Formats: sequence, C-alpha cells, structure tokens
Amino acid sequence: MNLERVVFGFFVILTLSLNAAFVAGGVETAAHHNVWILTFTIIVNLVAIGLKLGDRSQTGALLLASGLVAGLLLITARIVWIVADPEGGSGPGPGDMADIVSIAMGALVANVIATVILVGDTLLSRR
Amino acid sequence: MTPTSDLDRVAMIVLRYMRRPLFVLLFVYSVGIMGMALMPGKVVEGETTHMNLFHAFYFFTYTATTTGFGELPNGFSEEQRLWTIFCLYTGVIAWFYAIGSLIQLVQNPHFIQAMDGFRFARKVKSNAEPFVILCGFGDAGSLLARGLSDHRMRAVILDADPERIKALGVRDYTVPMPGLHADASAPKHLLAAGVEHPACRALVALTNDDDVNLKIAVMARHLNPRLRVICRSTSARHEANLRALDNVTVVDPFEIFAQLVSRAIARSELHNLNAWFVGTRGVELGAPVQVPRGNWILCGYGRMGRWIHHNLQAHGLDVCIIDPEVDANQVEEGTAIVRAHADHAALMTAGIDDAAGVIAATNRDADNLSTLLSVTELNPQAFRIVRQNSHENQVAFDAARADLVLQHSLTTARRILKLLISPLVQELIDWLAGREPAQTRALVARLKAAVGEEPPHLWSIRLVPSQAPAVIDYLEAGGSVALGPLCCDARAFPARLPCEALAVHRAGESIMLPDADFPLGVGDEILLCGTPWSESMLQATLHNPYTLRYVVTGVDEPRGYLFAWLDRRRRRRGAHS
Repeated sequence: MNLERVVFGFFVILTLSLNAAFVAGGVETAAHHNVWILTFTIIVNLVAIGLKLGDRSQTGALLLASGLVAGLLLITARIVWIVADPEGGSGPGPGDMADIVSIAMGALVANVIATVILVGDTLLSRR
Repeated sequence: MTPTSDLDRVAMIVLRYMRRPLFVLLFVYSVGIMGMALMPGKVVEGETTHMNLFHAFYFFTYTATTTGFGELPNGFSEEQRLWTIFCLYTGVIAWFYAIGSLIQLVQNPHFIQAMDGFRFARKVKSNAEPFVILCGFGDAGSLLARGLSDHRMRAVILDADPERIKALGVRDYTVPMPGLHADASAPKHLLAAGVEHPACRALVALTNDDDVNLKIAVMARHLNPRLRVICRSTSARHEANLRALDNVTVVDPFEIFAQLVSRAIARSELHNLNAWFVGTRGVELGAPVQVPRGNWILCGYGRMGRWIHHNLQAHGLDVCIIDPEVDANQVEEGTAIVRAHADHAALMTAGIDDAAGVIAATNRDADNLSTLLSVTELNPQAFRIVRQNSHENQVAFDAARADLVLQHSLTTARRILKLLISPLVQELIDWLAGREPAQTRALVARLKAAVGEEPPHLWSIRLVPSQAPAVIDYLEAGGSVALGPLCCDARAFPARLPCEALAVHRAGESIMLPDADFPLGVGDEILLCGTPWSESMLQATLHNPYTLRYVVTGVDEPRGYLFAWLDRRRRRRGAHS
C-alpha cells in the first residue's frame, strides 16, 4: 500500500462526491443547492491538483488535466453565484441558478473521468 | 540527352497514336461549321438569314455526337438541311474513328506497360513506411513476401515474368505490396522500385539466374551505396565477386540447406531451437528429433550434395554417395561411391540394411519420393531426410511421412527473413553452433521455463529516446540499469516477466546470452524472446519513469512534489538521528 495513492485517491473521490452532492436537486431551485458544498468542492479539488504536480507519468498528466478542467468550471460556477446574489440573501434567481448548476454538472463529468482513470490505473498495475 | 520518365513515355505514346484522329476531327469540324455558316437560311422579311459561327458550332457539336436536338435556333432552309446530312455522316464517322483509335491505344501493350510503370513508380514514391525491394517472385520470393507480410513489413516486387506479377495481385497480404513486371537488373526499374527512397531498408536479389542477381547487386551498390543488399548466389565465381562489394550479404540456398541438414543430424537440439524460433509447424521446444548415429547414405551429388557431404564430414560422419554421374576426383579418398540411380539395387549396394539414415537430395522431386519408398521397404528403421524442390508437391511430401522434409526455397526465404527482421537471431544460432551442445540445452531450459509451450514472440528494443524514454532519462541521470531488473514484472515484483534476453547489440558488437546483471547503456539493441503480452508490459517499463524506478530499486517512489518533499525530509531526519 502506498500512502501517496491513499491520500490522492481520498481527495479525488471526495471531490467527485461533493460535486455530486452539490448538483443533486432541481436545476432552477436555489434551495436545493448549498453554496458551502460548492466552496468545499473547490478547495478539495485544488488540493487534488496540488498533489498531482510533479508527476511525470502519462496517467499523472491526464489526472492533472482533468483536475484543472473541474477546478476551472467549479470556480466559474462560484463566481456566477457571487455575481447573481450580491446581497447574500435569498440566493440567485431561477435563471442564474440553472447556469450555476449546469456548469457544476460539467465539472462533475471531469471528476468522473479523473476517478475512472485513477481506478483503471490502479487495477491495471495490480500492486 | 535528358532522362525520360515513364510519364514522358506515356505522353509520347498518346500523342503518336492520337495525332491523326485529332487532325481528322479538326478538319471535319472546320469544314462542317464553315459550310453551315455559309449556307443560306430561311428568307425572313425578304432577306436571307445566315447562321452565325457560334450557332454553327453549337449545331455541329450536337449533330456530330449524334445527340440531335433538332433544328435550333430557327427552322432550317432546304440548303441548310442538305448540308446537315453531310455534317451528320462525316462528323459521326470522324468520331467513331477517334474513339476507335483511343480504344486501340488503351489496349496497346507498350502503353499498358508504360502506364503500369508510371503507376508503380508513383505508388513507391508516395510510400512513407519502411520497405524492402524484392527482385524475383518465384518460390522463395513469394514465401519471403508472405513472411514479410506476417511481420507487417512492406515489399516492392520486381519480376521479369508477367504471370507471377499477375499472381501477386490476388494474394491477401496484410500490407500493400506493389509489383511490376520488369527486368530488375535495369537501373531504370531499380530506381522506379525506390532504390534511392529514404524509407528503403534493403534490396533482396532472389532471381534464379546468378548473373542477373550479380548485376542487380552491382547496380544497386552504384545507385545507393548505403543500401543493404542481400543476394542469392549458387556459384563460387559470383560469390567472390559479390563478397568484394561491401554491404552485400550473400545467401547460398544450397549452403543454407546443407547447414540445416547437417545440424539436424549432428546438432538436433540446435535444430530444434532454430525451428522453434522460425515457427515451424509442429515443433515443440526441448523435444528434438532423435537422429540415430551411424553411416549415412546421400542420394544425389550435385551442388547441393557436395555441400551436404562437406558439412557432414565436418561433423565427423561417414557418408556413402549414390549418384549416376559422380566424378571420383571430386570426392575425397575413402568415401564410398555407388554410380547408379538411387533404386533398390543401388541402396542395397550402399548398405541400406545397417545405415543410420538416408538423405534424398537430388533436384527431382519424383526421384526423391521414389527413393523414400525404396528405403521404407528395405530398412524401415532408417532416418529419412528428403529435399523438396517444388512448393507445388507439398501434399505428396506430407503424405510420404519422411522424418524431415526440407524445402530449399523455404529455408532460403526464412534465412533472408531472419536477416531482415531480426538479424541477431541468426547470429545467436551461429554462435551456439560454435559452442558446446550443453550451452544450447541450458538456453532451451531457460526459455521453456520463461515462455513455456506458447509459440515464441521475438522482438528487439533499442535504448533510444523514442523507444525507451524512461531508461534514457534514468541512465543520463547517473543511474545504472541491468538486464535482469528491466525484465521484472512491475505487477508482481520481484517476479520476472515471461521473457528472456537473448542478445545485446552494442556499437557493432553482439554480446550473446547476457547475464541478468549485464549493465545496459544508451543505444543498446536488445533481442528478446517471450510472450506477446510481456512485450507490452516491458513497453510500460520502458516508457514510465516510476515503473522503471520500481523494478530497478524495488521502491515505489513518491510522484508529486509534496510527497517527494516529505520523503526527502523524512530521510534527512532518519540520517540525523
């Protein structure tokens, strides 16, 4: 067992889980989506990116790329939230909420890809 | 004089053939159009109208080609109609003449040949994959092409016989193999076949005529001195000439055949290993054919017979020769000779009853097969080796159930294929032939343990940045990689992958059967034998720096900067305390 693999696997899978937790619910309903979960997802994702820096293997490069895509989309979603809800009151309107959730849905795809690569690589190397 | 290309020839033939029909068409068109413009048309409002030149051309075009739209743009006068009849007949006849000439041109053998040459040269020129030029597409040539196709290597084929090139068109090769019916010894055709092409790897001269082969080799040497040439030769005179040229490998089918026969008799374990490497049907590694010891009878003492006799004597075997035309001066003292055809009586005289085996090596398949029948009747215990001359008689030889059937076109094709695809294999076999049989048995035992019953997969890797980036980086960073760790299975460290390194080629020298702790260097070429999946596993080790470090050191090193930093800190702490 390799400690680095445990730590990295933890952060990648946690990003996926948090991302899924955020997008679950009605697309236009602000009450179904928690801005704290979105923020946590961004932080965990950034940690996963940081752990992959310095890896020179092909799978490492692919994992870094998918992490960067997910990070970009999640941060975009967070910025849209800030712009759409300046007072921090009742949350964004239905139109803005649909934008935020669909962007986060895109990040979910990137996270699924990262997890599939991680699991596949581990299964193929079998050690 | 400027050199003419095939395209120039094509253009010239077309012009020569089509000149007269084109002039006829031009003449008929001119007369018809002018006449139509001059003919008085219908009278409109008291004035005679005339067709203008463009309308006349339009009218003639649709009339001469028998389209016949009718009287356009206005109705015709009687004079114009008369002229129309003239136009129609002359125009149609001129067109038929032109089309007939064109069809004749397309069927002209010179034109067909020039077009074939042009298309062939264009195909070769546009090919970017590595390829081999193959001159001569007989038995050995077609077997070699089949072998190359199995290894996904392209070949460009030249043969003087048009029937063989036609046969090439219906083969199901895995890669494109363009062929041309042409005399390969003409430099023009060698150039068309790509002798100067940068992707051309080698030229193989395999025609049945030694003179032609020599000519091809010499031409190719002049056209491209860096190109490797492999040349078939059966005469000593030609061979001496060829050996004087550098970069030329001479392949004598009789010598190869005789070498195989004598190794099958005297070094059966080596013969078995060689047959396993080249993938002969029904060969099991480590189970060599048991050849009895004793006197041998050789039927046929031509060029092949002499080589076999020579090789058998070198191995210290007694041989009795049966041949109707053998010259006693050619044979050394003390060799028993029976001057007859190899029938019952001759075999009895030669001592078939207590002979260890018989080699039927004449150049006639029917004689060899009938000798086999006699031997089976007289001494069923005798070991029977037979030479098969023609590939077409395969079924008869299969039915004859000889102990060993050798076909010289096949052995030649296999030897050349080995030289082209993996030259180190032949070097290894020759190296083993010069060593004790125990060394071969040890290698066979190692291969059996590593690869097992599966057919062998031979491949070679070069330690260059494009093929083994991880190894190059590791070596340049000051690390050292040995052969043994490189072949470790990263999934089950420290178990080995099912492959064995057979040879390492470094700076023009070959190291045979290197040890597991043999240190590797940049630029080495390694010949490996294993299972197909072990090649892809080894590929992963060669490309992935972490897998390589793991198999070399046994430690799975951290990958990211953070864990690498933590690792260094921990080690520094460990060193302090």
